[in-house]
Amino acid sequence: MNVHPRARDYPKSSLGEMIPNESELTAGVKIEPGKQYGFFTDTTVCIGCKACEVACKEWNNLPADNVGLTGHSYDNTGALSANTWRHVNFIEQSSIQALGGQDLGGQDLGGKSVRDNDQAPFQSGWLMMSDVCKHCHHAPCMEACPTGALFKTEFDTVVVQQDICNGCGYCVPACPFGVVDVSKADGKAHKCTLCYDRLKGGLEPACAKSCPTDSIQFGELSDLQARAKRRVDELHARGVHTAYTYGTPDSPGATGDMKYLNAFFLLTDRPEAYNLPAAPTRPSNRVAPALVAGLATLGGLALAAVALLAGSSEGARHGR
Amino acid sequence: MEGTITIVQEGRFQLSDRAGVSHQFVLGHDALAETEQLRPLQSRQAQVRVKYTDASGLISLIAHRIDLLEPNLLESPRR
Amino acid sequence: MDDKVDTAPRDGYYGAPNQPLPRSDSVHDAGDAAEPVATSRDRDMPVRPGWKGPTYYGRSQLKAAPFDPWIVGGYIFLAGMSGSSAVLSNLAELMRGKRAEAVGRRSRYLSMAALTLGSVLLIIDLDTPQRFYNMFRIAKRTSPMSIGTWILTSLMPFAGVGVLAQLGADLFKIEGLNKLARIGFAPAALSGAGLSTYTASLLSATSTPYWAAQPKELAMRFAASSVASGAAALTLGAKSDANRRTLETISAAALVVELAATAMSHKTVKAKGVGESLKSDWAKTEEVAALGFGVLLPLGIYAATRLRGRTPTAANDLAALATLVGSAMLRVSTLGIGDDSASRPEVSLRFSQPENLPRSRRR
Repeated sequence: MNVHPRARDYPKSSLGEMIPNESELTAGVKIEPGKQYGFFTDTTVCIGCKACEVACKEWNNLPADNVGLTGHSYDNTGALSANTWRHVNFIEQSSIQALGGQDLGGQDLGGKSVRDNDQAPFQSGWLMMSDVCKHCHHAPCMEACPTGALFKTEFDTVVVQQDICNGCGYCVPACPFGVVDVSKADGKAHKCTLCYDRLKGGLEPACAKSCPTDSIQFGELSDLQARAKRRVDELHARGVHTAYTYGTPDSPGATGDMKYLNAFFLLTDRPEAYNLPAAPTRPSNRVAPALVAGLATLGGLALAAVALLAGSSEGARHGR
Repeated sequence: MEGTITIVQEGRFQLSDRAGVSHQFVLGHDALAETEQLRPLQSRQAQVRVKYTDASGLISLIAHRIDLLEPNLLESPRR
Repeated sequence: MDDKVDTAPRDGYYGAPNQPLPRSDSVHDAGDAAEPVATSRDRDMPVRPGWKGPTYYGRSQLKAAPFDPWIVGGYIFLAGMSGSSAVLSNLAELMRGKRAEAVGRRSRYLSMAALTLGSVLLIIDLDTPQRFYNMFRIAKRTSPMSIGTWILTSLMPFAGVGVLAQLGADLFKIEGLNKLARIGFAPAALSGAGLSTYTASLLSATSTPYWAAQPKELAMRFAASSVASGAAALTLGAKSDANRRTLETISAAALVVELAATAMSHKTVKAKGVGESLKSDWAKTEEVAALGFGVLLPLGIYAATRLRGRTPTAANDLAALATLVGSAMLRVSTLGIGDDSASRPEVSLRFSQPENLPRSRRR
């Protein structure tokens, strides 16, 4: 196990002071402005403990919403919202042999089992993923924001400035992942800030720090992408052929001119199972075609109007 | 409600009332206070009176008005 | 609602080892494409419309726009109508000079009333209306809402000069003010053209399936509807038969274009797999109110009165009003259908598939 040499300097918790560059000790990365940071969420090691949800709520002082039970497996949170910035998905899948060759949806699987690999038995067929704002490279929410409240920070993350947002809500339908939302309580848009205040203080985000299995890994984007590739190759070698990255360049989730997502995932099923779009597109590419088509239509009708208005013989016939 | 502002994050703050019970507040859109004014209140552990209503669907309270109870506004921040 | 999630990973679904990326044709394996794709894998799969793949407990994948369809739809209608009437009145005064003076006057008053009311509607719809001025912090070309803010702002001074000068001319009978009103209002035609069309790009530049599937067709529908409503509004209260007949013809032409654009719109929406949203309640409202009452009825009345060759009657007024109502209902129901499409995962997941990616950006 790699323990950073500086960790020896801090054997006990001390609530009165901060450890400088604490992320070096906890995440193995020194946080410097000007570099790209994000999350690599490896869903194959997620245990569904929801420590990330709790840590996020605690650190960001978010009110509890989604009170009550949904009946959807262990997911009582439901979805990301203005007050929920981390959401753990649970999709129950089980061994095929027990169900006679069909999965829960009645689909025939041709004799294959979800556990038809050499993963250890505790790697069950359940899918668990901690969903979060993807901090897209070409963030549609940021491109849609008319007040400039949404901006790219020095850490290449996307943040809503609360003192500027006027709650117009245009970022909400713009997001291809359904992440950002406007809060009815304070009338402004909210979403994951990638713990911007923690990053400025040299701490890694709360969810990454609290994740017990390191399913959520924080670090520099290029480093995370390399790690993800190694993990995917490793899983393929172990027989998990359905593993792939979602949100890295040229992969699902980073389609349609989105380029890449700073917070990307390792998934083992199709994206729609996790409530993710398979091929999102960058909405701002539709601005020009719509404007051109509209103006062309208007122009055509204006020309027709000119032609009709030029008919002065009618005016002479009907008087004034 | 009267108490001390103990935690501030963006437009949300935690108020510990006279009985020592903490409540979570969201700064309402109609409040005159701006979000960046909350942070200095927290670092001074300022005593305030908050006029609020309940938030529907959330375990939270919406603050509509914050009044300072401290007489001396030039007091230096306490750690 | 079926809680069972159909998530059957198939061996090789995401490629064999060393090929981790899913190929776009493998997405059709679950038989969930609207049209059959001939790959060896799904030769035996039946063709089923709509989405038969997994959803996450039937939960929405996107978030619907928080705008109230009536408030924002109302604003879009007012903006389109006043914008187009500004364009048309300027053209009329250009081509017919003094004979179209009344048209110009009506258009100037119309523009101000629509703009002030429209701006109020927009500010009301903000969740933090006290900060509406933040819209003026920036001008962002990727955000149609920012573009629209500035188009609306650019219209204000010219409309203001036009209305005030016109008021002065009408109340105090100063002839020179008429000319000032006309000249001052002329640039409003440019802003008006923008106002009539930018709102479609406002809706298309989102991820809402119904709007994102048809940026061009929606723009054509909105532009045609704006011209039709602008012309119709100008016919109301027209005393000159010549002007009125011309405006009605313009309105009818625009309605025909809107009809064609609607057909194209339905075709595109179905081709992109969003056809389910055309079966919603809002879609039915659009058919009846926008298409039936707002397009077909006025066209019928115009055709009937033209064939008889009579001078305009109350029926023509009805046609103009129906056009206005229909234009407003088109915008309101477009918003409603869009919100519905965003909140249904079977629609949004079906839309964001590789086959709907723009040609040049497949990967």
